Amino acid sequence: MLPAECSRRLVAELRDALDSCAERQRQLEQSLRVSRRLLRVWEPAETPAPEPTPGPEINEEAPSSACPPSPQDLKELELLTQALEKAVRVRKGLSKAGEGVKVPSLKSGSASTATKASAPPSTSRCTGSRAPETKPPRGVHHPWVPAKDLPGRRLLLVGDGAHMGQGAGANKTEAGLRDQQIVPQAASQVPEAFTLKDKGALLRLPEAFRKAASRNARLWAQLSSMQTGDSADAAAATATATAKTQFLQKMQTAAGLPGSMLSTAEVGRLQKACSMLRLRMREELTAAVVEQPQGLWPEGPPRAALPCGGGADPVWSPQLLLYSSTQELQTLAALRLRVAMLDQQVHLEKVLMAELLPLLREQEPLGRPWLALCRAAHCLLCEGGQHFLTVLQDEPADRLSPP
Amino acid sequence: MGRRRRRRPDPADAARALPEAIAALSRTLPAAPSPETFRRAKFDRPEAAPALWRLLFRVLSPLPADGALASLALEAQARWVKSALRSQGYPRRALVQLPDEGSQGARELLLALAWLLARGPLPERLLTQSHVRLGDEMPVCECEALASPGLPAPGVEAEGCVDIRHVQWLTGKLRLRWRNLMAGQQEQCALLGKIHSYTRGCHSDRSLGHLSVPETELLRDPEGGRQLLQLLEKENARLEAALEWRRRELVFWQWMDTVLDACSPEDSPPTFLPRIPEPEAGVAGLLARELQALQEELREAAEARRAAWQAAAGGHGPEWRAARRALQAAVAQDLAALQRSWEQDQGRARPHGPRRLVRTEARAPGGPDLRAAEATEALRAREACLEAVLCQLQGQCRQELARLAGARPGLIWVPPPTR
Repeated sequence: MLPAECSRRLVAELRDALDSCAERQRQLEQSLRVSRRLLRVWEPAETPAPEPTPGPEINEEAPSSACPPSPQDLKELELLTQALEKAVRVRKGLSKAGEGVKVPSLKSGSASTATKASAPPSTSRCTGSRAPETKPPRGVHHPWVPAKDLPGRRLLLVGDGAHMGQGAGANKTEAGLRDQQIVPQAASQVPEAFTLKDKGALLRLPEAFRKAASRNARLWAQLSSMQTGDSADAAAATATATAKTQFLQKMQTAAGLPGSMLSTAEVGRLQKACSMLRLRMREELTAAVVEQPQGLWPEGPPRAALPCGGGADPVWSPQLLLYSSTQELQTLAALRLRVAMLDQQVHLEKVLMAELLPLLREQEPLGRPWLALCRAAHCLLCEGGQHFLTVLQDEPADRLSPP
Repeated sequence: MGRRRRRRPDPADAARALPEAIAALSRTLPAAPSPETFRRAKFDRPEAAPALWRLLFRVLSPLPADGALASLALEAQARWVKSALRSQGYPRRALVQLPDEGSQGARELLLALAWLLARGPLPERLLTQSHVRLGDEMPVCECEALASPGLPAPGVEAEGCVDIRHVQWLTGKLRLRWRNLMAGQQEQCALLGKIHSYTRGCHSDRSLGHLSVPETELLRDPEGGRQLLQLLEKENARLEAALEWRRRELVFWQWMDTVLDACSPEDSPPTFLPRIPEPEAGVAGLLARELQALQEELREAAEARRAAWQAAAGGHGPEWRAARRALQAAVAQDLAALQRSWEQDQGRARPHGPRRLVRTEARAPGGPDLRAAEATEALRAREACLEAVLCQLQGQCRQELARLAGARPGLIWVPPPTR
């Protein structure tokens, strides 16, 4: 058994390492869940009960009635209604027996949607209106906005009841036909399945979101420039900085604690600096071995430098990482994790060395316990915990007791 | 009105400046109490203390606002805040002496908050922590992973003695976790690649081109989208408050001076201090030795290089001396800049945050954006270095253990077969 303090420290370090791994795993799994779901067929956010009469459907849309439609809603509604009427005409031309029954419901559906402005079809749903809000974010209701430049106005569609029960596969074959037909949610039963693969290119971000996002970027840029001291009012900035320094000094001198002790945070920063320094030295020295000194000052090889200078920009800034293929992305991600793992391993190695080697040095190498510890330490320290060595006792023959 | 008002700095403005500064601070910090609480704290009112404990807890905890953490009792939060501040080097003893039950010391807590604000860009750091991620982000370097471990999460119990086999078992478990992580990561990249290709051309921002997962998700799930929008708008409000705070904060510091003066001066006799956990002393010693070793290594390497350079450059003429002086000046400049940037980096900076992934065929060279190929290359270099360091450490251990084992005769050590 290891002594108590040593045990505590070792277990604490390993627990930290395990926890940070677990945290990464948790975040990864969450991302995986979301991504997988996005690539499957999208479930409509509200699935109305499959009934032929439009009444209940409209009532299901009724929660949205609490939300007053915006002018944009109304305009789109009008466009939709016109398209609907056209669709009815087209359908009449193409209608098969099974679909004939839908036409009256279409008519009544379109009539009711025309009159009930408060029950917009699927392309403008007030989904957030269940809770009373002072400012319903309208922009979010329009996930599938028609791409105005496309001639054959390809609204994303809801399927009609005749195809209810058929899977996504069937939808694909009907896609060409469907594109010309526009059926309101109110009159139909099952919305057509949407897959990112087929129709991802049609998506458009809602207006309100775009505005908020661009305002967000602008504000961050302003905050960032203020940090780096680009602000116009340099005098005020200096005065503030001075005031802060003076305050800190006053706090320190008014203190009863000796100020020379290193705090844990400072030790941590020094450790970080030490690791970075060590790495940097290795890079330089290995590079220098390869390089021949030329001229008065040997130029280092142009190295792709990670943006890890010392440039302190504590504020988030929208920098991009461009990749061109999935393979490239996977390689990068794998490498990043490997570097993180190696970094952790180096740290743990140092911790283990600091804990175990002194123990082995101190103890008298007398009995089995020491041997067992030595063997285990060798495994951990020299083989990354993966391989064991074998220890053989080399007893001289005359020491063996007779059988 | 008969009198004409002259335009001069209105004293009423000056009187308003402080409340407005504090109000801005209150709006930008997460879970901040009302401006009135700050004022009460100056006068050490007991009702102000709990809110300030909670604020400090929220501000200092390394994890984002977590349900579990937030629901900790005030007493537990107060204890945690005390040790967190202590570990950051908070200089005043009065804080440590405050009772845990949380109803006293509002003025001291106000000073603690100001101390944190003075040391680094606290509002910005908090905003960055809770920043709404609109893109698919990937950190390129692992510098954040190197950040100080800080305090253990509240609620960690001490362990008794363990056997070394337990340590081995934990190491094995860690290895397995990494392997799982890597497998999952590969899948996630494949999925991202698909999502980015399928949504090409959708983004209003041409430089991005395609949608990210959060953006696509908000289209799939309008309810979630609405929530995202709300978060974004809240963040915008906090950002504006932060900007206002930065513009107005001078008057706050002038006020804090008066708060500090209002405190009774601390008595300096060396009274009993709560025992500092020993590992800090040990770790600092370790660090000192490591730095010394690095310095030694650097000195040797520098000597070798200098000698080689002198031999290659040949001789001493005035030209050579001038070049050498120029080099020394350049190096001195670099060192000074390095020192400055280190000193500025007081708060917990995030110099290289995660970057937004963008899938593009475009091959425009240069620019502020990083290309995956470049990042990969840099990471490979780092990987090689780390592997070398690990190898060297393991070699050191092997030697040491061999020496210790060699002291014990009559044993044969059979190393594991090398692959």
